Amino acid sequence: MEELKKAIIEFAESSKKTKFYFKDIEKAVQKVNPDAKMREIKKACTALINDGTMIYFSTGSSTMYGLKGRGMTEDPE
Amino acid sequence: MAFEPKELQKEIKYEEIRIYSDAELNNYTEEELKNFKIKHDIPDLDDLEKGPWPSFVADAKQGALHRRKLADDRMLIDRDVIEDMLGQLQISFDEGETHWKHGGIVGVFGYGGGVIGRYSDLPEKYPSIAHFHTVRVAQPSSKFYDSNFLRTVCDLWEYRGSGLMNLHGSTGDLVLLGTTTEQLEPIFFELTHEMQVDIGGSGSNLRTPECCIGKARCEWSCYDTQDLCYELTQYYQDELHRPAFPYKFKFKFDGCPNGCVASIARSDMSFIGTWRDDIRIDQEAVKAYIAGEVVPNGGAHKGRDWGKFDIQKEVLDLCPTKCMWMEDGELKIDNAECTRCMHCISVMPKALRPGTDTGVTILCGAKAPILEGAQMATLIVPFMKAEPPYDNIKEFIEKVWEWWMEEGKNRERLGELIQRATLPKFLEVLELPAMPQYVKEPRSNPYILWKEEDVPGGWSRDIKDYRARHKR
Repeated sequence: MEELKKAIIEFAESSKKTKFYFKDIEKAVQKVNPDAKMREIKKACTALINDGTMIYFSTGSSTMYGLKGRGMTEDPE
Repeated sequence: MAFEPKELQKEIKYEEIRIYSDAELNNYTEEELKNFKIKHDIPDLDDLEKGPWPSFVADAKQGALHRRKLADDRMLIDRDVIEDMLGQLQISFDEGETHWKHGGIVGVFGYGGGVIGRYSDLPEKYPSIAHFHTVRVAQPSSKFYDSNFLRTVCDLWEYRGSGLMNLHGSTGDLVLLGTTTEQLEPIFFELTHEMQVDIGGSGSNLRTPECCIGKARCEWSCYDTQDLCYELTQYYQDELHRPAFPYKFKFKFDGCPNGCVASIARSDMSFIGTWRDDIRIDQEAVKAYIAGEVVPNGGAHKGRDWGKFDIQKEVLDLCPTKCMWMEDGELKIDNAECTRCMHCISVMPKALRPGTDTGVTILCGAKAPILEGAQMATLIVPFMKAEPPYDNIKEFIEKVWEWWMEEGKNRERLGELIQRATLPKFLEVLELPAMPQYVKEPRSNPYILWKEEDVPGGWSRDIKDYRARHKR
């Protein structure tokens, strides 16, 4: 779990984007950790949300993830 | 069978927890409403009130006047919120463009859905709707409310929100329109702790499941829609609140093929009650219908004289597969040919009833977007038993999700993925054999793709060699 969390944060910090679809996080994590299962990655994301490292961004129809405080404000762009 | 709640239900007593007194709820006169003008000039909206139909503008004005006359400490968001909403709408009419921005990080802690951030892009002009978030509240199965519940929600929303609501959204939720970010957590607390109701789904997750009235009141329901809806809602809480799907996903549950919640047209996975034995016939009741002793259609169209009931014209000739006929004064049905259209059963409910070996048909891939690309569902499982604890259904759902989450692109619905990847591929993933029920009519079905191993002797094909002889 800790490994996955680290991989997610590394990916999110290194990307130029500030919001990510879950699928893009999944792909990036599987690049460094090919055995990581989708459900485990989802659980890691949820843990990051729960500890406040990451936040959801929702348009209402689709949802994305981002690092708290990094290019994500309360107001939409 | 009496209703037995699965967990202890708190009785909501409006009189004990109400926020507003009757005097506050009825705080203006008809005369005052007639002379009431909101603070913005809204000629086009005023015009909308003139038609023959009830108008949301009239409702919104009532709300605006009500808020004007409430005391300052009797509402927690801006008094002018409805007036500013109407003012901005008029500007949108003038300019032909919306001034709402949507999306953002608003939400309640731990949930990825249920609250949709909405903001005005003219906050200086309309300050009270600078934040105007939407909250979706999950409806009880089949929308069984009592007035205690509804009044409590209304009081809560007038106090902590704009008072504007939309019952119901397409997924069935109660849609509460317009509040500020600070109010979200208190609203969530009161809904969940005081009223035992959850907020619904939004974003890339499982949306609030919806079911028809089911066995609660309908004799045609072939399975307990409310029970299945509730069970899957509870079982898939994580999918409902923590979005990790490529896009939205909807379940809907219809108890019979009449489809009162239109699951076949609106849900990614549609569960429709059906039977696999024979339609039950009461020949005496058939005779009573023919003799005019019982009104057809359960009396639904009796407001006008339609003439004597003609079973040939009104039932037999309208059967889509022509599988019914009269023989020696008795109604006969070739059940193998029946496509479950429900017409005969709906016309003569006393004489005909669904069979007793009941279950669900599962269809996948419908969507009903506002702008383009509406698609009906495709039949996948012709028949499956639907009995608690529904393990067979859960197993099916998880196979579908696993494939869609793996293969689906961002913002791709299940129906779009099935079209892109082909139906045979989908069936392969589900480990289902192709079935005759998939074929709409002979020789017109596009879903047949052969694999080399399926064909005795296989084949070899050299595309370069082919192209040398056939230009593109």
